[in-house]
Amino acid sequence: MNNSFLRVSIWVYLVIFFLYLLGPLVIMSVTAFNSSAFPRMTPWECLTFQWFGELFQDQRILNGIKNSLIIGAGTVVLSVAMGLAGALMLTQIWPKLRATYYTIIIAPILIPGVVLGISTLVFWDRINRMLGLGADSVLSNGIFLTVIGQSTFIASYCMLVLVARLQRYDVALTEAALDLGATHAQAFRKILLPFMRPAIASAAVLAFLASFENYNTTTFTFGEYPTLTIELAQKVRYGITPAISALAFIIVALTVFFALLNEAKLKRQELVAAARKKATVEELAGKIKLPSFFAGNMAAVLLVVFAVATITVVGTATAYNPGQCIANVKEQKRLEAEQRIQELRKQREEQRKKREAEEAQQGGAQQSAPKPSNNSGFGNVFAPNTLGGDTEEESSEPETPPSNNGGFGGAFDPNSLQTDQ
Amino acid sequence: MPRFLKDFFNRNGFGMGLAILGLVLFWTVGLIILPQLSMLDFSFRPNLPPPEIGGPKDVYTLENYKYLIYGPEGGSQAYNAVDLRVFFRTLLAAVCVTIFNLILCYPIAYYLGQSKGSHIRIFAIMLIIPYWINEILRAFALRIIFGETGVLNTLFVGLGIWDTPFDFIRNDIALYAGLGYAYILLMIFPMYNVIESLDGNQIEAARDLGAPWWRIHWRVVIPYAKPGISSGCTMVFMLSAGALAAPQILGGPSSLWFTQLIYQQFNDNNDWPQGAAYAIVLLVTCILFVLAMMRLFKVNMGDIGK
Repeated sequence: MNNSFLRVSIWVYLVIFFLYLLGPLVIMSVTAFNSSAFPRMTPWECLTFQWFGELFQDQRILNGIKNSLIIGAGTVVLSVAMGLAGALMLTQIWPKLRATYYTIIIAPILIPGVVLGISTLVFWDRINRMLGLGADSVLSNGIFLTVIGQSTFIASYCMLVLVARLQRYDVALTEAALDLGATHAQAFRKILLPFMRPAIASAAVLAFLASFENYNTTTFTFGEYPTLTIELAQKVRYGITPAISALAFIIVALTVFFALLNEAKLKRQELVAAARKKATVEELAGKIKLPSFFAGNMAAVLLVVFAVATITVVGTATAYNPGQCIANVKEQKRLEAEQRIQELRKQREEQRKKREAEEAQQGGAQQSAPKPSNNSGFGNVFAPNTLGGDTEEESSEPETPPSNNGGFGGAFDPNSLQTDQ
Repeated sequence: MPRFLKDFFNRNGFGMGLAILGLVLFWTVGLIILPQLSMLDFSFRPNLPPPEIGGPKDVYTLENYKYLIYGPEGGSQAYNAVDLRVFFRTLLAAVCVTIFNLILCYPIAYYLGQSKGSHIRIFAIMLIIPYWINEILRAFALRIIFGETGVLNTLFVGLGIWDTPFDFIRNDIALYAGLGYAYILLMIFPMYNVIESLDGNQIEAARDLGAPWWRIHWRVVIPYAKPGISSGCTMVFMLSAGALAAPQILGGPSSLWFTQLIYQQFNDNNDWPQGAAYAIVLLVTCILFVLAMMRLFKVNMGDIGK
C-alpha cells in the first residue's frame, strides 16, 4: 500500500513538474493565434494568423535573424576549433599543469555572462586604442566582439563534449598511420577527424544554439549589429505583441520537430542494430531485413503526427479568413463600451441629483454659500469617477453632453471662473 | 626548449603542434585571462573621456569601489544603501532560487536516473526542449502567465479564489519562477548523471535492512550524489546571480537585480570603470561564496564539472 502511494505521488509530481516546464511554452504558442492585440489566452477572441504576417514584415526581426546567423556561424567555427585544440591539449598536457589548465578552460562556464561581455568589450577597446585604430576598426566591430565574447564560454562547452569522445580514442591508430608514412597533418585529417566527427557535429549544434540564444554577453558587445535575441529583448521590454508569440511558436515547432527527428533516427539505428544481432548469417548475407520505420518507434509516430498537424495548420491558414469574427468581436466590444458609458452617465446623473439635493439643503442652511450650479475651478477633475478611464471612450462619443463630465470638468468653461470670483 | 614542449611537438608534428598551441593560447590567454585582468585594471581607474586616457589624470584609484559602499561623495547618506541593498538581495534571491531548484529537481533526477524504460527518453526530450527555446522567449512566456490579465489571474479571479488581480510581477513571484524555470536543466543533468551510475542493489540492500524511504535517500543516495548536487547548485547559483534577461523582463519596476545596475552603469551612465568595478565585486563575491559553501559541505573542487 505504501509502495503504491509512493508511485501515485511520484506520477502526480511528474505531471506538475512537466506542467511547470512545458505549460508556459504551450500557452505562449496558443496566444499567437488569438486576435487580441495583447498576447493572452482568455478571453479567446478569434482564431487568426495575422501575427505571423506581421512578424514576417518586421524588418528589425529579419535583420536580427540575419545577424544572428552570421554571428552563429563565426562562433561555431571559432569555438569548435578552440574546443578541439583545448581537448587535445588536455589529454597530453604536462601533469603538473593539468589541474590549473582545466580550471582555466572550465571557468568561463561559471563566470556570469555579463562579466564576460564587459571584459571582452573593455579588453578589445584597449587593444584598439593601443594600436591607434579608430572607432570603426574591425576590433570594435559588433560582429567581431560578439563572436569573440560568445566563443570564450561556448568553447568550454565544446571542449567538454569533445573530450568525452577523445578519451575513447586509441592513440595507437595515429601512431600506426605515422609508421605507415603519413604526415602529422594527414594522420589528423584522415584518422582523428573521422573518429571525432559525431562529437564535432554535436558540439557545432550546441555552439550554434548557445550563440543564437545568448543575451547576457551579447548585450554588451553587439554594437551596431543587434542579434535576434537583442531585438526580442527590446520588444519584450517596451510593449509586447502576439507577433512575439508567433515567433516563439515557430521556434518551439522547429525545436520539437528536430528533437523528434533526431530521436526517431537514433531509435531506428538501435532497432536496426538489434535486428542485425538477432538475424541469422544467411539473412545478413542476403537481404538485411530492416524493421519498418514505425515499429516500436514512438518518436517516429509522433514525428509523422506532428508533420501532418503542421500541414493542416498551414493549409487552414491560407484558406481561413477571420475577418467576420474580428468584426463581430469589435461590434461586441463597442456595444459593451456603450453600455458602460450609459451606466456611467446614469451614475453621474444620480450623483449630480444627489449633490444638488445636498447643496440645496446646505444652501438652505447657510445663506452665504455660493450658487449650487457652481463647481469650483477644477470642475469634478478630482471626483473619483472621472479617472475611471472613460476619457477616451467619451471623446470618441460626439454626443457627450457638454455639461461637466469631460476629463477637465468645467475647468475650461469660462463661466466657472467668472462665477468663482 | 623545455622537454615537455619538445615532446609535444614530436607527438603532434610541428605544424599541427603550432596550430593547437596557438589556438589554446589564444583562448586561455587572449580570451579568458587577459580580458579579466584588463577589466580588473580598468575598475581601478577614473571615468575619463577618451582623449585623457593615459594622461596625467589616469591614475589608480579606489573611487569606484568606494562608490558602491559609501555612495556619491558628499551624499546625504553614510552608505550607498540602494546599491548595497540590491547587491545583497540579489545574492539572497540567488540562494533561494538554487534551493528551490534543488528541491524541485531532486525527485525528478532520482526518478529518471533509477527507472528503466523507453518513456525515460521521451521525458529527457521534454526536459531538453524548453532549454533550446530562447531565454527571452521563456521569460516572455512567464510574463503572459503572470501578467495582470494573464492566465493565472484570469483563472483565480474566475474561480473566485481572490477577487482583484494579484500583482505577481510587483511581488517578484514572476521573477523567482522565471529564474527557477530557466535553470532547471542545469540542476537536473549533473544530478541525473551521478544518480544513474548508482547501483540499484545498494538501494535494495538498504530497503532489505529495513530502512524507510527517507533514510535511504539521506544515507545512501544523497551522499553518493553529492558531486552532482554540488555542481548543479554551483551552476544555478552563479547563473541566477548573473542573470540579466529574466530580471529585465519579469522584475517589478521597483526591484532591481545587481546585473541591471551594471548594465545601467555601462549603457545609461556611460561610466565603464564603475560598471567594471561592480562586475568584479559580483564575480569575486560569487566565487568566494561558492568556495565557502563547498568547504562547508566538504565537496572537492575536482568533483565539480564531472
